Amino acid sequence: MAADLAELQSMIEDALPGASVEVLDEGGGDHLRAVVAAPQFDGLTTIDQHRLVRAAVQTRMDDGTIHALSITTSLPAAG
Amino acid sequence: MNESGTSGNEPTVTEKVRELIAENEVLLFMKGTPEAPQCGFSMRVVGILDQLGTDYAALDVLPALDPLREATGEIADWRTFPQLYVKGNLVGGCDIVEEMYASGDLAGLLGVEAPPPNPDAPAPGAMPPASSGPIQIEE
Repeated sequence: MAADLAELQSMIEDALPGASVEVLDEGGGDHLRAVVAAPQFDGLTTIDQHRLVRAAVQTRMDDGTIHALSITTSLPAAG
Repeated sequence: MNESGTSGNEPTVTEKVRELIAENEVLLFMKGTPEAPQCGFSMRVVGILDQLGTDYAALDVLPALDPLREATGEIADWRTFPQLYVKGNLVGGCDIVEEMYASGDLAGLLGVEAPPPNPDAPAPGAMPPASSGPIQIEE
């Protein structure tokens, strides 16, 4: 079953208000990449940044909609 | 001893994993072995550790995948493999390890010298081609 990329994007945006989020299909509809820039990442280690993103879509990982999720995180551009 | 009466003293998988993490300064949970990785992501992390020339312990998770998923979930809130632990803390899986390798942060964390720029190393943010990238098999 292909994941609903827009739904995943809004799940992450809801969990991280102010974040800029892009969810990409890297193959087959269930190997995805989330590219997230969020102010909440400030001061966190990379793994903790990834934990926040993953937690936002955990229900879709648990139900098998997402098979593999790659995550790229950054702080929002200054200004 | 496996009698039920000893169950109070039997270390659980989680306790064993905690011990392993505490005892090994650099510990990689991976699918397969460094000599014969069974997963493209595990292979990439092995390649990076070898490139850095650091000593590390590796644990093949395949013989006990589900119990180890549970254990690392409990310990580090992380259930997919590979997982690299350094000095008792989870650094990350393949994505994060590659990112930190490219930035030089991993060499710093491991206390080794960063190798000269490698044209084969992925640039930060570089993505594998979607069609030919390694496939992570999940239960």
